Amino acid sequence: LRRCLAFVDMRHLEESFQGIKRAIQAKDTFPNITILSTAETLRSIKPVDVCCVTKSLLEFYMDRVFKDHQELKPQALRTISSVANSFLYMQKALQQCQVQRRCPCSEEATNATRMVYDNYDQLEVPSAATKSLGELDVFLAWIAKNHQKTSPA
Amino acid sequence: DGVAALPAPQNLSVHSINMKHLLIWSPVVLPEEKVYYSVEYQGEYESLYTSDIWIPSKWCSRTEGPECDVTDDITATVPYSLRVRAILGSQTSAWSILEQPFNRNSTILTPPGMEISKDGFHLVIELEDLGPQFQFLVAYWRREPDTKEHAKVVRRGGIPVHLETMEPGALYCVKAQALVKAIGRNSAFSQTKCVEVQGEALPL
Repeated sequence: LRRCLAFVDMRHLEESFQGIKRAIQAKDTFPNITILSTAETLRSIKPVDVCCVTKSLLEFYMDRVFKDHQELKPQALRTISSVANSFLYMQKALQQCQVQRRCPCSEEATNATRMVYDNYDQLEVPSAATKSLGELDVFLAWIAKNHQKTSPA
Repeated sequence: DGVAALPAPQNLSVHSINMKHLLIWSPVVLPEEKVYYSVEYQGEYESLYTSDIWIPSKWCSRTEGPECDVTDDITATVPYSLRVRAILGSQTSAWSILEQPFNRNSTILTPPGMEISKDGFHLVIELEDLGPQFQFLVAYWRREPDTKEHAKVVRRGGIPVHLETMEPGALYCVKAQALVKAIGRNSAFSQTKCVEVQGEALPL
């Protein structure tokens, strides 16, 4: 499965997100709440569920977060667009991979992503979108860890 | 109603070589007037999910044109729509949109430039610095019957890289191609270059 997203430059995505992270998180009105649950939840995802959770969270960000977030600053708009279009590319790459390989969703994986949606729906849309955007680095790091060989140099 | 008076730029196209993407168009020519241009883009995500959103180009929200380096705008391997309009004082023209969306996987990849040198008995290569998206596959061999070709991936251009310790009197040859992981493509191989270390071949 690691080869499915091998062509995605995760480091570039993580670096460009770092550029707007502080500004996004500064707008978070509920700092004590988390949408992606805790990082531990993502860390506890089993290898067999990685494909399903990746697909579900890509969908979550594309269908909900990026659409719901209202952004005015051009630099943030460009960065979010860069991530959104990279997620779209990843979604396509995963779909092609699925043709060759199954992408099973266990009950555990389904519950993990349903919790994310439930957390999202408990907040007002603008707040939820801003918070989820502020947690993007957690998801990006998780993708990099689970989908890419660590290159020696 | 001045908007209609200012003609829109025409003949938009993208020239893309080695992952550098240049949007060009025919200038709007008005006697004794200075016309500026504004460029915006939309990735496939925006066209599918938020089609009313267009994003100002990083370098050309107001440019003298008639070209714009959109390399820093095209950051994913999906189709991008691009549009340009003319600006004259407070007037703006209609938008002209690139006829076919542009995908960076169509960029032209040229064989990389390379310099071969000898550092004593060491065979050293320095490849053209084409930017962070590029790696290189270097093939090198000792020119003799039944020789075996060696390969090495070089992760960056612009720095000398040691390939092999040479034996005197032997001819060593090298060629290289550029690799771009982000689009899953590579260039053709460069021309082969050979060097020889003077002196007599060592006794076996």
